[in-house]
Amino acid sequence: MHLFIDTHLDEITYILYENNSIVKKVVEKGREHSKILMPLLKEVLNDKKPKSIIVVNGPGAFTSVRLGVTIAKSLAYTMDIPIRVISSLECIALSVNDEDKIVGFSDNNGYYIGIFNQELELIGEYKYISNKEFEVYNAKYKVITNVELDYLKIIEFCLKKSPINPHKVNPIYVKKLDVEK
Amino acid sequence: MKDVLILSIESSCDETSIAIVKNGCDVVALSILSQMDTHANYGGVVPEIASRMHTENITIVLEDVLNKANMKVSDVDAIAVTAEPGLLGSLLVGVEFAKVLSYVYKKPLIKVNHLIGHIYANKLENKLTFPNLSLIISGGHTELIKMTGDYEFELLGETQDDAIGEAFDKVARVLGLKYPGGPNIEKLAFEGENTYNLPKVLNDESYNFSYSGLKSSVINLVHNETQRGNTINKANLACSFQTAAVNELKRKLELALKNTGIKDVIIAGGVSANKFLRNELTDLCAKYNAKLNYPSFIYCTDNAAMIGAAAYPLYLKGEFANLDLNANSNANIC
Repeated sequence: MHLFIDTHLDEITYILYENNSIVKKVVEKGREHSKILMPLLKEVLNDKKPKSIIVVNGPGAFTSVRLGVTIAKSLAYTMDIPIRVISSLECIALSVNDEDKIVGFSDNNGYYIGIFNQELELIGEYKYISNKEFEVYNAKYKVITNVELDYLKIIEFCLKKSPINPHKVNPIYVKKLDVEK
Repeated sequence: MKDVLILSIESSCDETSIAIVKNGCDVVALSILSQMDTHANYGGVVPEIASRMHTENITIVLEDVLNKANMKVSDVDAIAVTAEPGLLGSLLVGVEFAKVLSYVYKKPLIKVNHLIGHIYANKLENKLTFPNLSLIISGGHTELIKMTGDYEFELLGETQDDAIGEAFDKVARVLGLKYPGGPNIEKLAFEGENTYNLPKVLNDESYNFSYSGLKSSVINLVHNETQRGNTINKANLACSFQTAAVNELKRKLELALKNTGIKDVIIAGGVSANKFLRNELTDLCAKYNAKLNYPSFIYCTDNAAMIGAAAYPLYLKGEFANLDLNANSNANIC
C-alpha cells in the first residue's frame, strides 16, 4: 500500500493506493491543518505501514504545503520507506489530456502557472502572477484551470519516478517573499 | 527507579534543536542548527524563512542527535516539543515533526512551554530549589516569577510594553549595529562609559517593567544629535543604555528579594547570557545572601535540552498531549 499526501491548498487529501487502484481517499477541509493532519493520518493508515510515500510539494499555501511535506519526509525517514514528490502544477498537467498546455490554479490573491510540453516536461519555470496580471495573461494564452485531478494517473506516474533522499524533500514556494523582492 | 529518556524538540524561533535528556537533568546528546547567519542578511529573524529552514533541517538534526547519542528513537520513553510561545510557523514544524515521531514509535507526546524550558535549563547543571525568583529575560519576554515547586508559578510582574531583548535589538539598530543586536551592544558597551543621562525605566513600586520609554529616549537622542550635526559616542551610549536597562531589572529584583526573603534567584532566556547583567545581579544577590543561578551559555540561548528538562515533571505526572496538539504563538507561564 502506498500513501499519497496533498496539502497544497486548504484541503487535506490522503489516498491509499494498492494493487493498481485507489483503495481509500479522504478529503478534509479545515482551517487548522496542524490539528487535523496527524489524527486523520492515523485513522487513514489504521496501523498499517505504507510501502512508500508520495507528497505534493507545492507550490500553494506556504504553511499547508510545509506541514504536509514535513509530515511526509519525517514519516519516510523514520519508517525507512521511499518517498517521491510531485508538484501541484504537475498534478494538474497530468490530469489534462491536451498535448502542450499551460495550467494554473488560484490561491485567491493570484495564480500559480506552469507550462508543460507533451512529455510533461516543464517549459521554463513556475511563476506566480497577480489576479490582474492573470487576466491579461489568460486572454493571450489560454490557461487551463479548475481541473479535477486524476489521482490514479498521478500516483502511477509518481511510482515510476526514482525516490528521493527524505532529507532533500522540501517544499517549492515560487511566490516571492517581501524580503526577497 | 528506571531511567527516563526524553527526546525533545525545539523550533520556536531560528534554532532547530533536538536533544535526548535523561531524568530531566542529564544531557545525553544535543544538536542545535542555528539559522542566525541567514537572518543576519535581513537584519532580524524573517518568520517565513525560519519556518522553511526548520523543515529543511529537522530530519538532519534528528539524525545528528541520534548519531551523537548512539541511539534510536525507539530507545526513548517520550517525545517532547515546544508548542508555545514563539513564531507560529516555526513552532508548527517542530510540533508536526514531534507528532510523527510519537505516532511512528508509539511514544507519549509532551507539550512544553518554551519559557518554562528556559527556567528548567537551570536543572541541566544544578538543582532547582524552591521557592525561587525566576527572571525571564529574552527578546519576547520580561517576567518576574515566584516558583514554589515544580510547575508552580506565581507571576509577580512583567513588561508593560517592549521586552528587554527587544529594546536591546532596536537600540542596536539605531546605533547601526548588526543583528543579533543584544550581544553587539554588550560588546560595544564594554568599550564605553555610562555618560548619557537616560530616564529611569518604570519608576514605581510594582514588579512590572517597561522598556519602550528607555528605547525611545535613546532613539530620540540619536536622531536629535544627528540633526544638530553632533557626533554620538556610540560606545558610551551603548553602555549608558545597558546600564539603565539592567538597573531597572536590579531595582525590581531587589524589591522582590526584600519583600519575599527568597534566597534563590534564576535568570533565564537569551538576555541572561549578558555578562554585565550577570555580574550586576550576582552582586545584588550577594547583598541579600541570595544565590544567582544561570545556565552555561549554550543552555541560555534556545536549545532542546531545556525542553527535555521541562518535560520530565510532566512525564512523571503523566500529562501527555494527543496527535491534535496545536502550536500557540502567544502563551504565558501563568
